[in-house]
Amino acid sequence: MQNGIKKTLFIVTFSLLSAQVFGHGDLTKRINEKTREISESPKDFRLYYERGLLYQQHIEYTKAHEDYLKSKSLGNTDKALQYRIAEVNYLAGDYNAALKSITAYLEVNGSSDVKAKKLEAQILFELGAYKKSLYAYRYVIDTMKDLRPEDILEYCDIILAENDKNQEVALEAIESGLKLLGPNTLSLQLRKLDYLKNSGQIEKALEQYNYFILEYDRREFWYYKKAMYLAEMKRPKEAIISLKLATATIDRLDMKFKNMNAILKLKEQIKSLEAQLK
Amino acid sequence: MIKKITLILIMLFTVNSFSQTATVDTQVVTSEKNSPSIVVERGPYLQTGTPTSVIVKWRTDIATESVVNYGRVLGALTKKETNRALTTEHEVALSGLTPNTKYYFNIGNLTEVLSESVSGDMYVITAPNPGTDQFVRAWIIGDPGTANAFQRQVRDAYYNYVDTTATNTGKTDMMLFLGDNAYSTGTDEEYQSAFFDIYDEMFKKSVAWSCLGNHDAYSADSATQSGPYYDIFTFPKEAEAGGTPSGTEAYFSFDYANIHVISLDSHHTSRAIGDPMYNWALSDIQNTKQDWIVVLFHHPAYSKGSHDSDIEDRLIEMRENFMPMLEANGVDLVLNGHSHSYERSYFINGHHGLANTFSLEEITKGGNTVGANGKGDGKEDGDGAYQKADTDPEGAVYITTGSAGHVSGGELNHQAMYISLNKLGSCVMEIEDDGKGGQNMVIKFIRETGEIDDYFTINKTGVTSIANTNEPKSESGKVHYVAGSDLLTITVDRNERLKKVKIYNNIGKLVKKSRKKTINVGKMPKGMYAIEITTKNGTYIESVTIE
Ligand SMILES: [Fe+2]
Repeated sequence: MQNGIKKTLFIVTFSLLSAQVFGHGDLTKRINEKTREISESPKDFRLYYERGLLYQQHIEYTKAHEDYLKSKSLGNTDKALQYRIAEVNYLAGDYNAALKSITAYLEVNGSSDVKAKKLEAQILFELGAYKKSLYAYRYVIDTMKDLRPEDILEYCDIILAENDKNQEVALEAIESGLKLLGPNTLSLQLRKLDYLKNSGQIEKALEQYNYFILEYDRREFWYYKKAMYLAEMKRPKEAIISLKLATATIDRLDMKFKNMNAILKLKEQIKSLEAQLK
Repeated sequence: MIKKITLILIMLFTVNSFSQTATVDTQVVTSEKNSPSIVVERGPYLQTGTPTSVIVKWRTDIATESVVNYGRVLGALTKKETNRALTTEHEVALSGLTPNTKYYFNIGNLTEVLSESVSGDMYVITAPNPGTDQFVRAWIIGDPGTANAFQRQVRDAYYNYVDTTATNTGKTDMMLFLGDNAYSTGTDEEYQSAFFDIYDEMFKKSVAWSCLGNHDAYSADSATQSGPYYDIFTFPKEAEAGGTPSGTEAYFSFDYANIHVISLDSHHTSRAIGDPMYNWALSDIQNTKQDWIVVLFHHPAYSKGSHDSDIEDRLIEMRENFMPMLEANGVDLVLNGHSHSYERSYFINGHHGLANTFSLEEITKGGNTVGANGKGDGKEDGDGAYQKADTDPEGAVYITTGSAGHVSGGELNHQAMYISLNKLGSCVMEIEDDGKGGQNMVIKFIRETGEIDDYFTINKTGVTSIANTNEPKSESGKVHYVAGSDLLTITVDRNERLKKVKIYNNIGKLVKKSRKKTINVGKMPKGMYAIEITTKNGTYIESVTIE
């Protein structure tokens, strides 16, 4: 599971880096426009803040940071600025500085700011302070009005980072997420499946596959995924049954679906798994 | 103060009715005669329409109760839905409605009606049941939120179109907003002037859907689903209108008649393969049985307008990550905005690289254009409609249509585009019977002048074909079952003795064992089963559907 998180982090980092080579359309134009405005009124802290935001969107974190500090030195005491300083430090990977600024922010503005709490949790996570991170994120989960499935998943990542044997705790978090966001929220049900498989709860994992099969209108993909898992678990006969059901489901699809590339590929996959199992 | 607001509102209504020459008699009357003490500042507008329900939202200047009176007859709104909590942000769900049915309504509080239409222009037509093949019209509006005269001209051109068109006059089944609905930062005030004040009249009779634009995102926070965009819209996160539950309003899907519509967030949410939005979209599109699949998101997969899909990260990621998956699963139409122009592709598939790698002549599987007509104009009276046969369900048209409020040029030379116009306008999508068991999806680009500068048709065969009835043949030739019969028969070769038969249900659970060649399945629930037959020669597994 640790691996999973590292992988995610790697992808995140990688995409942040690779994003730098791409442009953002009119952002450059707007940055230039702001720069022009700044040259006209160089003492206006609002302008530096606004350009900082643009730089931040343009993934130019150093410049954004400089603009924020400049805005602050010119007298900007807005709490939004304080938050952005923490955020840009976090995005730039300077987690110690980020923690310092978010802590200051929370001290001044009270610790009830959910968005800031979330950032604090994310920073603590990066610093490896998993227990503290969990504590902060728990507050986010309990308080945020409109929680997203991504929040629950992130919370689960922290739970497992803190202790990779805590699959059960992560599962509980998923269950509570399902209660909050709707019992069939796909990404949470998928994660539940992952945890059941990773913790070796084979029967429960199979039940989870059955949940997908029964809940969905089109079942062919779920039958195949269940068959793959059964094959992995060295239960070939059950795997074949699931493959037969997959094929029968495909046979009953409307012609246009039968001829779709995703289904043609699935049929190949079924065939090859069937051949392996014989 | 209150009086002043009323006056301003009346002035707004007046402006509206002047500009909508085609619909002069449709003004909505705020019941002045009783001089209500409470003013409806926003709406009513309709959200998350389904075959049996709809959400009515509006805003008042003073907190009050929420009441919607509704009924099938204009003069007799006999049904009522009430929420007694005092609020200025009203949200009332009507449920238990009949599909495909027109309900008139008005809104108010416990003591009075605050907004109604005496001419009957405040109504909801419930969605048809999923799978229904019928005429559907959607109005597609990209990057409209300028609140200026251009936006009004584009709106009026569509109003005029829909009120004078020969078929299904006046019918707009849904509004599809492609984001950047209110410049420049999508604040509540900007939404008021660029969204509610502009489309007020249509909002009272057509359900509005949207995807998030970057300008909406300046004030909306997808991370917390808060801010004006998320407050204004109420989207189905639990698949209330069909599709797969996403658990978030940032991306969701819905069914309307035989169309499946997927709305993605190309701005805030991770666009990476394997991340939640991708996983959701994959499961969602692979779970639909609808005839048409339409996908909307703000950042265009293909554009050389004011944004360049060759160099901007969000555009590249949507194209590289989402397009292969959507195409493999039968997407028909992709609607984007962001570039403030009209760019419309050929009938294409599998083009995920840079603009200059697109080749019109490449038509092999996974090639760039699809079918004999794929590299043509798609016009029935020109090179011919784009063809999507059920035997070869590939090909989609991509439209970047972000000029409903302003134009901003660009090179406009993306190779995948049949036409690129630096012109104001919006699009209309109409799905209609082709008279041959299929349907046509007709799209028109309606200029602010009312001229139709582009149009095309995707023809799809086999739409009205009923469910597949040819039961698959038994692979081993050992299982025989006739639909409707109580008996399942196993035949084995003369010298191949039957040892046992096991029947598993649709989740692979053993439900019946037998040693006989004829098995009574009359009492078993209908559905799909797997049959395991063991003879002295070996084991065979087959499937059968008992019905
Ligand atoms: Fe945009």
